[in-house]
Amino acid sequence: MDMDSSDSSKPAPSPKAPKRKADRAGEDAFDLWLQRGLHKLYDDIAAEPIPPELMRLIEEDRTRRDK
Amino acid sequence: MANEFHGQVIALLPRLRVQALALTRNRAAADDLVQDAVANALAAQNSFTPGTNFAAWMHRILRNRFISTLRKQRETTDIEDVPAGAFAVSATHEDRLVLKELGNAVNRLPADQREALFMVVLQGMSYEEVAEATGCAVGTAKSRVFRARRQLQVWLAGEESAEATTEEQRIERARISGRDRGARYARNGSGVGEHNLLA
Repeated sequence: MDMDSSDSSKPAPSPKAPKRKADRAGEDAFDLWLQRGLHKLYDDIAAEPIPPELMRLIEEDRTRRDK
Repeated sequence: MANEFHGQVIALLPRLRVQALALTRNRAAADDLVQDAVANALAAQNSFTPGTNFAAWMHRILRNRFISTLRKQRETTDIEDVPAGAFAVSATHEDRLVLKELGNAVNRLPADQREALFMVVLQGMSYEEVAEATGCAVGTAKSRVFRARRQLQVWLAGEESAEATTEEQRIERARISGRDRGARYARNGSGVGEHNLLA
């Protein structure tokens, strides 16, 4: 079913082509919006300070291995 | 050598926290998961090969720890948190509503899709890195991100592309004839998170 991708000849534009282009543009716009939205939702969480007990766990291990 | 390892762990903690939230969907559980994963990583640091991809190695530990916990509990945390960003005072009322809706929709995605989406969109990881961290093929990683995006688009914008035109869509078409047909979409809006990670 799949056409040979090495075939460089381009088929004549079908009536569906503009629709596909519009679909793709809509997806790109949504993906950009999604990226911004996810960063708004989660960047604050990433920026929160590291819990002291977690830092202590790491630092204690570092000190022990450096000895 | 040891110092470098610990520095890498500390530098990666913010990303691990977000990734843990992608897996657990619960803030307290995410914090516990990060703590456990770091403890595992510290214990296993001799098995890390310097010069290889530390982020992928660490994400793999986080993921394995999550799956191990799931297997023990065989249940998930019921309380799903919408990230605090949805309640930011700087945002307009409308923005907050939209972000809250986005947060809820993201939580409805199957865990493997949400995990891959976060890795690519929030962590900036390549598909190759996602594949390495999650133990799947690169095509599978692409497909998961693609499906997550399109599912969110359907839920949030009510849009669905009529034609498959991209490489990712062709991958998706090939995949739905394969083994994960049953996990194609979140069907009922809840309880769809983790089972596909245990498969």
